[in-house]
This record gives sequence, structure tokens and C-alpha cells, in this order.
Amino acid sequence: MEASVDFEPRIVAFLCNWCTYTGADLAGVSRIQYPSNIRPIRVMCSGSVDPMYILKALLDGADGVLVGGCHSGDCHYVNGNYKARRRLAVLREVLDELGIGSERVWFRFISASEGALFAETVREMVDSLKTLGPNPAKAIWFT
Amino acid sequence: MNNLVIPVGEEGRARALGEFLAKVLELGVVDAMVVPVMPVPGVITYLMAKDPELIRKRAEPFARVMPVNGASPVARAVSKKPRGRIGALLKPCEIRALVELVKLKQAEADNLLVIGIDCVGTVDRDEYKEAYSDVGRLQFRDACKVCLNPCPPDIAFPGINIGHIGLDDESGLLVSLSPELDPGIAGVIEELGFENGDALAGKRQSALATLKEERDKAYREFFEKARAELDGEGIGGVAKLLAACTGCRNCRVACPVCYCRECIFDGDVFDYETRQILGRAGRKGGLKIPGETLLYHLTRMNHMSLSCVACGMCEDACPVNIKLFPLFAGVAGRTQGLLQYVPGRSQEDQLPFTTFREEELEPR
Repeated sequence: MEASVDFEPRIVAFLCNWCTYTGADLAGVSRIQYPSNIRPIRVMCSGSVDPMYILKALLDGADGVLVGGCHSGDCHYVNGNYKARRRLAVLREVLDELGIGSERVWFRFISASEGALFAETVREMVDSLKTLGPNPAKAIWFT
Repeated sequence: MNNLVIPVGEEGRARALGEFLAKVLELGVVDAMVVPVMPVPGVITYLMAKDPELIRKRAEPFARVMPVNGASPVARAVSKKPRGRIGALLKPCEIRALVELVKLKQAEADNLLVIGIDCVGTVDRDEYKEAYSDVGRLQFRDACKVCLNPCPPDIAFPGINIGHIGLDDESGLLVSLSPELDPGIAGVIEELGFENGDALAGKRQSALATLKEERDKAYREFFEKARAELDGEGIGGVAKLLAACTGCRNCRVACPVCYCRECIFDGDVFDYETRQILGRAGRKGGLKIPGETLLYHLTRMNHMSLSCVACGMCEDACPVNIKLFPLFAGVAGRTQGLLQYVPGRSQEDQLPFTTFREEELEPR
């Protein structure tokens, strides 16, 4: 699909309270510029993000979903990010097997001190989604 | 593995096996036995039998039909540790589902004696009712045509397996006692005076190898075709396949491993108010009601595909005949492959979502 010039993707972001959300906050207080396409939802742990939330966002027309968690070994709840990694990997397989494709779902480990990385991740994701084009689910009403 | 032969007399293999099962109950090896029976012509149900005579006369252990995956009723019957020991005659996919339910803490395996039986396949329930006396001419269900596990898993339960694939009535039925089987139980069965069945076990193994080759090929072709239908179609492809869904949730009820007592899709999370429905309809121009049917199926695949035993009950249960089996089992094959998990293989294998490795699945 050709990227439309004025297409601004909407990204739903589930950000872990302890790392990525704080990282996003740091990006803000550090005045780092990044696109405003993101709609953050603070969750207590990336391990609490059920694949259903991601699917719900995608089926309702979100162009992308970002899940942000702590780095390996840094989870506030010891292993929530590892469990999230398994769930997200399974979600990807489901989406790929059914021909839906998993490129709209991103899972990144971003710590509380990585404001710059958070901003960079959002920039990258927006660019990637602009190339992908709008989510076709937006136009499907019989789901 | 201790192999014995049950001779098959003039009355046929169903009665021969029925006699064996009745003896097992009579001799007090178990206090009750779950067996498939035919209460009315053409209808098969499971029976928790206390009277050995009922098993002798009514058991239909070879019925080529699966009205329900037997793991569900057995798990419910033994969800709390029963006082006595309960035997259950189950097909391979039923045993594998039961292993998953034990791991999901939905069934108590301690006082259960699982008697597995080979299964070459089952047919459509309605067709069976019409033609149960001549079932050979009926086609197997899709799930059975591509079933890769026609024999019960070896190490799932320390029980007894009944083998008949590749064996005719003349050679008899094969009874294999698991090496971990309670010596008390094994002793009682050995005392029944059956002959050694090692030769029969070899015959069955070679028949199984041929069957496995056929099934591997059928499996590959079936899922390649299913995948080709969806390939490149995007979300619209699967949405079209599931468009007829009425949201009845029968597939979930029939699924032996979908175990939540209270499913999120039954709660008020998706019980939208009128203004919400109108708002959502406004965004897309219109909205299918009852809605969220695609979300429901995709969520179920995420939650349960790792434990899917590919029994195909979901498809059988669908009132609008959606071809659910290729979708679910296709996804399941892939997610299980990713985490190298074989559902129902052993009670020792950990459920993949309850565990993790520090180094895996990268890049995310």
C-alpha cells in the first residue's frame, strides 16, 4: 500500500509503570521531540497486557500497538516482561498464521532512564506505520 | 511395557473389550468406570458405570463418533479428588486434553486409571446416527483425517492402553500395561491369564508407522491449503471466514481445554451500552451485532491454542458451520511449534504461559 502523505497513524501504547512509562515521562521533561501519534496507556507491568487488549485496539482501527516493558532482569515484578514476551510471541504467530500480519505490533524493552530511546522508538514506529499505510481493519465492519 | 492379548470371540471386539473392562471393575481395580455406551440406537454418550453388566452389554469402545471430547465430562467428574479409583476409557485426543486439564488444575489425576484406546478416526455425529451399523462407508471428520496421534500418548498417565490399529479380530486386541502402573493393578490384570502380546505389539507398530506417514502427508496438504486461502488477504480474509459467527460461544463450550468458569466474553466487559454501540457503529459506518466475534476467536486462539489437542470439537459445535478446525488447529500447530510444546504429552511438561526462559524469542 502506498503511504498517503497526510496519513497520521494512531498508536495505542501499553507502557509499564516502572520503566517505559517513566522513560516516556523522561522524554517529556527532557524536552525531547517525538511525534504525537501515540496514545499511552499506563499499565503496572507489560506482563499484565493481555493479547486481547492489543487485538481489541487493532480490530477497532488502531494503526499500531506498542507494548513497552522493562529490560531483561529488571522487571519490578521479577518476570512479568518475560511472560509478556511469550504472550506477544504467540500473538505474532497467531496474526501471521491467519494472514493478518504482525508488523503493527511492537514490543520493546525501554528503561526509565531511556527517554531518548523511547522518543526514537516512537519515531521509528510512526515511520514504519506510514509506510504500511492505514490499518485495513478500520474499514471492516463485520467483525 | 507389558503386552497381553485379549482374544476376540464370535460376538466381536466390542463385547470382548467390554468383558475385559467389566472384569476390571468387578475385580475392584476401579470403583467405577467411564465408558462410551449407546443408550438409544445411533447415540453415543459417556457413562459412569458402577454395574459391570452395563459395561458388558452396552459399552461401545470402538464407536467411531465423538459427541463430546471425553476429557470434559471426566475432568468434571474428578475435579475434586474422588474417594475411590475411577477408570476412564478415552481416545488419544481425549487423553491429551485431560493431561492439559490436569495441568490447568481442572482435574485430579491421582485416583484416575486412564485406559487409552487407539482411534483411527470418528465421523460426523448426525451421519453416525443415520448409519451407525455401517459406519465404514462414512468419511472421517476433517480433524480425524489429519490426526497425527491415532494412538494414546505413552507417558501421559501410568495406565493401560488398548491397541487395535493393524490388528484384526483373529489376532485379538492388544493390552499394554504402562511400566509405571500401580503393581497392584498390574498384578490383577496379569492374573486374568491373557497370553503374551509382544508379537501383536510389533504388528501394531508397523501398521501405525504406515498410518503416520499417510497422516503426515494429509496434515501438510490440509494446512497448506488452509494457509493459502488466507495468505495475503490481511485481516479481511479471516474476518470473511468468521463473518457468519453468531457469538453463541458453542465452540468454547465444546472445547475441552477452554476451562475458565467465567469467560471474559460472558461478563459485562463486552456488554456495551447503546451509546457505545452507536459510537462504534458511527466510526465504521455500521457494526455487526452481536459484535466482537472476530475478537473473541482471536482471543481464544491466543489464550488456548498452546493447549489445543486438535480434536475439532469446536467445528462440530458450530451452529452456522464455520470451518473452525483449520483456523484453530493451524494456529495451534504454529504456536506450539514456536514454544516447542506438545500438549497432552506428559504431565511433567510445564504450560508455556506459566514459565519462561531468560534468553529466548529475540528479537522481539
